[in-house]
Formats: sequence, C-alpha cells, structure tokens
Amino acid sequence: MNAPAKAFDDFFSDIQSALGADAVNRSDETILRYGENTMPGGDRPPAGVVYPGSTADVQAIVRAANTHRVPLYPISTGNNIGLGSRSASSAGQVVIDLGRRMNRILEVDERMGFAVVEPGVSYQAMYDELVRRGDKWMLDVTSGPPQGGMLGNALDKGAGYTPYFDHFGFSCGMEVVLGSGEVLRTGDGSLDRDTLVNWHTSKYSFGPILDGLFTQSNYGIVTRMGVWLLPRPPVVQSFHFAFPDDGDLEEIVELCRPLKLSNFVPTLFRVANDLYLSGSEGESPDYRVSRGKRSLPDDARRALREKVGVGAWNVSGAFYGPSAAAVEPMIQRVRDHFGKSGKARYISHDEAKAIPPLQVSINAFSGIPSLGELGLLKWRPGGGNIWFTPGTPMDGRLANEFQTIGRSIHAEFGMDYMVMNVCGPRFARGLHVMTFNREDKDECARADACYRKLSESFASRGVFVGRAPLDYHAMHMGQTMESFRAACSGIKRALDPNGVIAPGRYGIA
Amino acid sequence: MQTNFSARQLRDPEIAEAAAIIGTCVHYGFCTNTCPTYVLTRDENESPRGRIDLIRAMLERGGAPDARTVRHLDNCLSCLSCMTTCAVKVDYVHLIDRARAHIERHFRRPLADRVLRFLLAKTIPEPKRLLRAMQAARFARPLRGLLPVRLKAMLDMVPDRADAKILAPQVFKAEGMRRKRVALLAGCAQQALSGNINAATIRLLTRHGCEVVVAQGGGCCGSLTLHMGREREAKASARCNVAAWTREIEGEGLDAIVVNASGCGTTVKDYGHLFAQDECASAARRVASLARDVSEVLCELGLPVQVATRAWRVAYHDPCSMQHGQRVTREPRALLAAAGFRIADVPEGHFCCGSAGTYNLLQPQTAETLGRRKAGHVASTDPDIVATGNIGCIMQLRRYLDIPVVHSVELLDWATGGPRPPALEGRILREPAQEKSVPGAPAEGAANDIGIW
Repeated sequence: MNAPAKAFDDFFSDIQSALGADAVNRSDETILRYGENTMPGGDRPPAGVVYPGSTADVQAIVRAANTHRVPLYPISTGNNIGLGSRSASSAGQVVIDLGRRMNRILEVDERMGFAVVEPGVSYQAMYDELVRRGDKWMLDVTSGPPQGGMLGNALDKGAGYTPYFDHFGFSCGMEVVLGSGEVLRTGDGSLDRDTLVNWHTSKYSFGPILDGLFTQSNYGIVTRMGVWLLPRPPVVQSFHFAFPDDGDLEEIVELCRPLKLSNFVPTLFRVANDLYLSGSEGESPDYRVSRGKRSLPDDARRALREKVGVGAWNVSGAFYGPSAAAVEPMIQRVRDHFGKSGKARYISHDEAKAIPPLQVSINAFSGIPSLGELGLLKWRPGGGNIWFTPGTPMDGRLANEFQTIGRSIHAEFGMDYMVMNVCGPRFARGLHVMTFNREDKDECARADACYRKLSESFASRGVFVGRAPLDYHAMHMGQTMESFRAACSGIKRALDPNGVIAPGRYGIA
Repeated sequence: MQTNFSARQLRDPEIAEAAAIIGTCVHYGFCTNTCPTYVLTRDENESPRGRIDLIRAMLERGGAPDARTVRHLDNCLSCLSCMTTCAVKVDYVHLIDRARAHIERHFRRPLADRVLRFLLAKTIPEPKRLLRAMQAARFARPLRGLLPVRLKAMLDMVPDRADAKILAPQVFKAEGMRRKRVALLAGCAQQALSGNINAATIRLLTRHGCEVVVAQGGGCCGSLTLHMGREREAKASARCNVAAWTREIEGEGLDAIVVNASGCGTTVKDYGHLFAQDECASAARRVASLARDVSEVLCELGLPVQVATRAWRVAYHDPCSMQHGQRVTREPRALLAAAGFRIADVPEGHFCCGSAGTYNLLQPQTAETLGRRKAGHVASTDPDIVATGNIGCIMQLRRYLDIPVVHSVELLDWATGGPRPPALEGRILREPAQEKSVPGAPAEGAANDIGIW
C-alpha cells in the first residue's frame, strides 16, 4: 500500500478533528524512536503515531484509514523486544499506540476468577491491582518485561510458566475492530443482546470459534479481552536441578515428560542452559577479546557456570500448596525421580533465592513480574536482539539432536547458544536468544544469517517456529503450504478488504 | 548509542565518563514505560533515552545549551525509575547530574529563574533559614493571588505548622549494652519540617543498643544542590560531612552512618563517586561504604517484641531514592510487619510522587499531576496510615491525601514504646484488624486464600 503524502496529511487531519489534536504525534523524535527495533534488518520509521482512547476511537481511525488508504500498525505497550519492538511491518505505516490511553482494567471478577483488560494493561499493572485487592488471584506472567502488555502477548501466542501458561488459551472473549471498522465480539459475546453473562467465562458456545483468527494475524484490532486468573496459592515452593553436561538434555527431557503428562508438577519446566541463565548476570567475558566473532569457548562457559552456580542444563519447576510442609513430600518425590540420573544436583527453593537467574524462575512460577531476565539483552553490546523459537516433541533423543544442530549453526556464525526449553507434557518450546551488536555491520549480518539458517535447518526437519521477529515474518509465511497462505489471504480480504491493518505482519499482505 | 566527542573533549574525565555512559544506551526503550514524564506526555524528549540523546548533543557541542534542551532536562525528576527498568543498566543518574552541572555552568537562565534557584539553594539546606522563610511565607499568604504560579505553589507547600527540632552536635547513649556506634545525618529541611523523625530515629536506635552521634561539623548532604547542578555547593556541603564523620571514624569509630531521608541516603552512599577526582576520595569512599538507610540498620539489629499490637493497615510508599537509588524495599516492610502493622503495597509503586527534591517547587504542575496520581493509588489501598522513608515524599503526599502520612521510623518508635507520631495526634483510626500480613510472603494458610487451600 503506497499512499501519497496528501493521503497521510488528510488522514491525520481527520484523526485530529475526530479525536483531538493530541491524539496525533508526528514529531521527528517520535517517528525516529517508534521506528527503532533490535533486529538486523534496520529501523522502520512510521508516518506518525495516533493514540486512541476507546474502541470508538479505534473504529474512527480504521475508517479514516480506509477512506485515505493509509496503512496502520497497532501496538499495545510496545515491549515486544527481540520480535519487533514498536516498529511497524514496513516504514511509513501509521502506528496506533493503544497503550497510552487504552490501559484500563475494565473488570476483575473475584468470584469467577477473570479480568477484562484493554490493550495497554501491563503485567505489572494487573499484578498491582490483584495485590491491591488482597492478593487472592494470580496472573500468569512472562519472564519478560513487567511493562509488557497482557493482551498483545496473548495475541502473539506468548506464554508463561504456571498452569495458566497459555495466554491465548486462558483468554476468553474479545472485542475486535475489524479492517472494515465494524466491531466484532467473539465467543459468548457474539450474542446480540445488551447483557452478556458468559462473554468472559465461556469460549465454546454456538458458532465457529473466531478468537484464534486474531492471534498472529492482521485481521483486526483487539480492543478488549477477558483473561482467566488462578487462585493464588499460599505457598509456591520451587525445586531446581543442575546437570553438568550439554548432552544431559536428553535425559532431562525424558525425566520431565512423565511429570507433566501426569500433571504431577503443576508448572511447566524451565530447562535452561548455562548461558541463558548466566547471560543475565553480565556481558560475555569473551566479547571484547574476540570482538564477537566466536561463540563463548567451552572453558569460559564452564568458568561462568561455576561463578553463577548453575549447570550446563538446569531444570526448574514448582509446587503450589497451603504450606511448605504440605508440598515437601511432592518435592521429595521429584528429587527421587531426578536422583535416578545420578547426575542431577538438587538446588532447593531457599538456595535458589540466592541465585538471581533462578529467582527469575521463582517469580515466574509465582506470577510476579520481574526484570531479572532482561539482563540477557546486555550479553553483547550494541542493542541487537532476536528470538528464534522452534519447538521439539518431548523426546530426549530428538531434543538433543536439535541441540547439536543449533549449537553448530550458532558456532558457525559466531553467535552464542543461549536456550531455554519450556517443557510441557508433549512439547517444548525452545527460546533461543540471540543478542548481538547491532552497531557492528558484520555481526549484524552474521546474526541475520544465523537466524535464517536455523529456520531453514529446523524447518527441513519438520520444526516450525512459534513467535518470530518481524524481519522474518514473510520468510516464515513462505515456509507454509500454499493452501494455508491462500486461506490466510482470503480471510484478510474478507475482514480487511482494503488491507489497512498491519499489511505484511505475519507475512499476510 | 554512538558518540562523536573529540579527543580533546575526552581528555576531560567528566566528559569521558559521560561519553562512556551514553555509549551504553542502545535504545531498547524499556525506560520509556516507567518514566513519569514520558508516560504523561508521550514526548520522546521527555523520556530517559530522549534526554540521553539531548545530553549527548549538548556535551558534544559544548558551551551554552539551547533553551529547549534545558527545559527537557529540567523536567526530569531524577527519580531513577529508568535505571531500575533499563536492561543494560545505563548509569543515568551520573549522566543527568553531569548534564545539570554543565547547564549551571554554561546556561544563563532568565533572571526570575536565577533568583528562585539561588534562594532555594541558599535556604533549604539551612534549617534555620528555612524556618524563617516558612514563617515569612505564612505572613505572605494574603498576597497569594498576586504571585506568579511557581511562587504560589511554593506558598501552598508551606505547612501551617512545622514540627521543627534542630539538633545540636551531641552523643545519645545506647540503652543497655552498646551494640553499635552510629552517626546520624541530622539533615537539613527535615529538621525544619518534621523534627520528630530524627527524634524517633534516635529513640529507636538507642533503644536497640546504638550509641548515636550527631557529629560536629555535619550538615546538609548536598543532594538538593547537586540535583540543581550546583556541584560546587553540593561538594562543599558533602565535604563537611566527610570530614565530620571521618573524625568520628578515626576517633571512637563508627559501625554505620545512618540516614533517615532516603534522598540524602542515595547521595551519601554515592560520595565515592562525587569525590572520585578529589583529594578526599579515599575518605569519601570510606564514608559511603558505611552509609545505611535507617531501615537497613534496624533490620540488622532486629526489632524486639512490640509493646503493643499496632495492626493498622499501613500503605507503604517506596520513595524513588529508596527503591531505585538504593534498592532498599524489603527492609521497611519487614520492620513494619514485625511491629504488627498490616502492609499494603501501593499500585504503580515504581512511579514518582512528584516531590523529587526541589522538583515540586520548580515544576509545580507536573509535580501536582504526579502527586494526585500517587495519592489516588495510595487511597485505593484503603489504608489507615501511610508510611514512607523520605521527608520530601511525606510533605508531597500530605498535600494530596486526607490520611495521616508518617515516616516509618515514627511508627516503629511508637510500636516499641515511643510516643504516638505527631501526624496521628487527634486522628481517630479504625479499630485495627487482628491478622497481620507480610507482602510477597503470605503466611502459610494465608488470609488471602480464597477458600481452597
């Protein structure tokens, strides 16, 4: 969509008339900063930024965009660091910053255990509100930025670690402004009545389940969403095991699987390697020596493990209960289970509290937003960061094969292998963090090449990514079958006929 | 962020330090989410990373900055919320202080600004002068309508009644066996505004076995003038304290230097940096290494069993200097909970209340917006009492809340045998609940259980 300059001027003029002068920001600084991101492909300055305050405002913006054929790009809180930040799919789109004004917690139902939020509500804000109300309810949080938005994370298929880890799965009922400017309510909200009793309690009443259409897509702008909450347990008691060798991942996965298939352990397992945990504690000790041209050598990796107090692979999980004494027998059973390996070093909850990267896990299992893991972003200087997120079945041998391939590709491009596998019963998502010097052209190009080769290599073995950096959306969509792409395009044409909402996002034009 | 300083500029250690700090900022932008002025305005130049860019341009260019840059830097609260959030830990505090010193040296403010800043810098750090100024302000109230906005705001900030108590240098003996010998920073404005804070601190510390020294020659920590860019005056004040406490350290010795105004504590803990290029660097580092917030020292000592149950609901407000500057958040809560109070955490706790040293005097409109916003969050927790650890926050919150606001030490003193805090005199509190809670660490079988555990 290449709208002429006049179309943008007319669009912004319409928005100022409808929403007020301060609903539009076209200052040079704003355009510069909203275009910034952490990916190798460069910045993408928008045409301007608009700040709606309500669903009606979003409708007005979308309608004006249709009138003037101006491309939009909605963001919630803009904390999608490593996946695109606040920058649009392509330069020249108009960013709709929903987070500035649409940041209200619309409802908290403490009997049914759900909250209803606008896009700008952050994990921290929701946590604060739940604490204010007596701390009876727990929100599943990510281990990412506390100011990250709950709604945006759920729509991008983000996840946490508690039993309510699947943020889209535990959302219920959306309000969406479609590309036409019409408002759609999903789930039981679709009932054409003023009173909607089950909008945020039931997902599966009459008609097709449309909610999924608005995850990782550009078919509409979600302006309201229900989120289910977990009763806060009085005690969260974590357990941790450190394993000494890279190859221990195979055994770890085999040990974790039955504990999740049975749901004996209620949380997901965080299975993090040495660099994922140590990386948040400071800059790579090798970076200034090697100028970032190689992966951290094994001896330096071992030294780092000893310094931080972690293993080559590290398993973390937690139990919930009324008291530490009540959960102790369960922890003992897990200890016995992992003890079978003969290689696992047990780290207790209290010991883990003194190891900052393990405290991050405790916070995550406890539904407490925390900043600790952001330290990964300073592993290398220069502000480059992308996340590669393939998955593996919970099959130890396969997981280890993917580890071997991943390590070798990272080494080939001089990147560091920093991975956490978030393990459920049948599947683990592998969060590969690539921090690189974006101000160094060579390193930037290597990071890009590394990501592309990882993607191709894993895809050739039948593995797709989950969330992806914006730079690679088109590439990943290109990895799908033709009929999938055709279906995505068809839905786009139906719901957003002029293609005004985030054209190109997720590879859907 | 890449910089473009000349080799000659970089030979100046102050510029070299600033350049190094600027170089660490990579524009992730996490800081923007927690910066009060950015959240209020959505103006990039009102965000930490925007200001870092402005500082870079100002220092690279050298000489007099433009008025626009000065305005954006003046608008910074120095709350340091950005430093807590920053993923790469940009040392913003030393950068903004350097920028302010540069502005003070090279920028000629309008006459009214210069006079105002001069008066503030000469009055607030001197408690006796401040008392006289407050007295004069009370007399001037009938003229309020004739005054410009900032002077009006200042007049409004003068409390009707000040509980002043200015301490002379002296030693307060420990009750029972002496466990520690500590110096107390008696402070400046706090003595004129709320003398009971020092009195309660001394009672608490002596009750817990501390000998408390108010050292001869000590005074203002230098924080207020430092954050106004008046580095020379700040150093002069700080140097007096370093000398005074060094005499005590080398005399009978000190186990700690206790500070009960967290804004001051942040500065004293940073004396090593302030005097890094100075001949008293070593003494300053030693002093800084002994500096503790009063809550840190009391936690080390441990509270005795309280003499009375004080299970009122206390909203604890984290001063920015305490949470972002010193990272002391656990101790005050632990102490208040140990004394039987029920603690309520305040939503949006990372946000500044708008006090920020002289900020609410120099930037009254933003300060009021933030003050009202904070007051709303505090009130939403339905507290009986509000406690905090910094006199600036206390004065600011009192303006916007109809709930008694006290220093944590006043509650701790009261709970362990001291008098009722003056701010609670004549206030009827609700009958306290019986159960107690510790935020972040619910008791087993906790009161917050919805009935399933």
